[in-house]
Amino acid sequence: MTEMTIRVVLVVGLYVFIGNSGILSFGHVSFMSIGAYAFVWISCCTLPALKPLYLPGLPIVLQETALPSPAGIAAAAALAGGSALVIGSILMRLSGTAASIATFSLLAGQYALFRNWTGVTGGTSSLANVPVFMNSAIGTLLAIGAVLIAWLHHQSRYGLMLRAARDEQTASKASGVNVWLVRTIAFGLSGLIMGVGGAMQAGFLGIVTVDAFYLDVTFLTLAMLIVGGSGSLSGAVVGVIALTAVTEMLRRFEVGIHLGDALLALPRGFQEVGLGIVMILVMIFRPAGIMNGRELTVGHFRLKR
Amino acid sequence: MNAAVPPSLAAEAVSVTFDGLRAISGVSLTLEKGEILGLIGPNGAGKTTLVNCLSGFQLPTEGRVRLGGQDTVRWDAAAFRKAGVARTFQGGRLFRDMSVLDNVEVTGVALGLSRRAAQRKASELLDWMGIAQFAHQLAGTLPYTDERRVGIARALLMKPDFLLLDEPAAGMSDHECEQLTALIRIIRLEQGCGILLIEHNMAVVLGLCDRVHVLDGGRTLAQGRAAEVRNDRAVIDAYLGAEG
Repeated sequence: MTEMTIRVVLVVGLYVFIGNSGILSFGHVSFMSIGAYAFVWISCCTLPALKPLYLPGLPIVLQETALPSPAGIAAAAALAGGSALVIGSILMRLSGTAASIATFSLLAGQYALFRNWTGVTGGTSSLANVPVFMNSAIGTLLAIGAVLIAWLHHQSRYGLMLRAARDEQTASKASGVNVWLVRTIAFGLSGLIMGVGGAMQAGFLGIVTVDAFYLDVTFLTLAMLIVGGSGSLSGAVVGVIALTAVTEMLRRFEVGIHLGDALLALPRGFQEVGLGIVMILVMIFRPAGIMNGRELTVGHFRLKR
Repeated sequence: MNAAVPPSLAAEAVSVTFDGLRAISGVSLTLEKGEILGLIGPNGAGKTTLVNCLSGFQLPTEGRVRLGGQDTVRWDAAAFRKAGVARTFQGGRLFRDMSVLDNVEVTGVALGLSRRAAQRKASELLDWMGIAQFAHQLAGTLPYTDERRVGIARALLMKPDFLLLDEPAAGMSDHECEQLTALIRIIRLEQGCGILLIEHNMAVVLGLCDRVHVLDGGRTLAQGRAAEVRNDRAVIDAYLGAEG
């Protein structure tokens, strides 16, 4: 459950940019990574002596501080959002496939940097003893916050202009839209949300490793967004729930279920295979995702497209 | 914007070259507020390229575009729109996955209105054009001719000084052409903008335009009052003759 709230934050973060701009980004996990390390830099560690020992490259001020978790989360949001804004302002000069490929190189570049910047990130070794603040209540609260921010952005003038540029870039310019600006804003905002997701991950596992923020989580979160339907915010949330349910179920089957005396168990690794099958089925029967671009409606309250 | 001196949109000796291929060469044209200027010529004559120059989508290789005396060298398409030059596209180019109302509203927010204010203006405009019944329909689901009208509405929001229409009547029946003609006439009458009309349908052109500018092979072949151009020998040979 707590893990799911983290995924909701991450996938909603992806949605803010990918859903509204129509540009696939492979690089957003970089901002999750930056958020996780920012949390460590500000809020680690329970034993003050650890930071000077493991991260001698950190500025002295940071080595000597260990602020409470909320400050760490705020730092994660600020640093991830800030770097996303700067990087986005450069990448968003590109469009379409070129932009997607550039985001992939962002992921690879950030990964290589953090892997080798040993004095500041600990390099390939994992940083343990990160303060654990997450529980299902805090996770849910943060997830609701992320959904709310995404919804407000969706409803704002910037969201509207961004979707116009997604549907018809040429015509949006003729309507007066500054395509670069609206894309950069969304890139920065989604980076900020990803950063919070990273801090949540760090504060849930109590351990931070560079390898946890690379291809696996990139493709898992993208799969969730695409299965749910990148065309709507509801799709992002539904995708997380659906794929989490499927993987959880497959994991139980992998462990095995008892039927009388017999133990029925799927072969190991079936979890990944099953996930692939689910994705293929969704792509065949609902190419625009489970929600098909629509929003959930509850009575008269309707998330307007 | 300045009421005393009505601005004009002018191409001055504009040439555009694509990889050595001359699309238009040395074309000059002035569009005044309140007039309807027809831009005709055979396919490939450079009509759309000229409109692209006049709306910031194409930088002239030589020559320049002036708006009310201002040079527009560093302007992009959004800057032209903000300065009051709006255009439509061949084939609509609507924002397909957005409602008709949102399609029109985008122009309003892009030009600085709040969403609420832009939405109100967009609703009023759709009402005025008689297409309010489509407001909440997805633009991608509209029939062809209604798509054109939404395209015009999108360009018309925020009362631009100049409206550039790229083949608005293509593929329309005679009856629909008449409706379109009436609509364009009302737009000029009530909004007072200068309209540049690219059109192949001569009934529409002669019915609407005060002046006509004829392009052929990227050069100006003739220009003048509609009735004069119609009887111009060179124009008949190059263009009208082909249609009988």
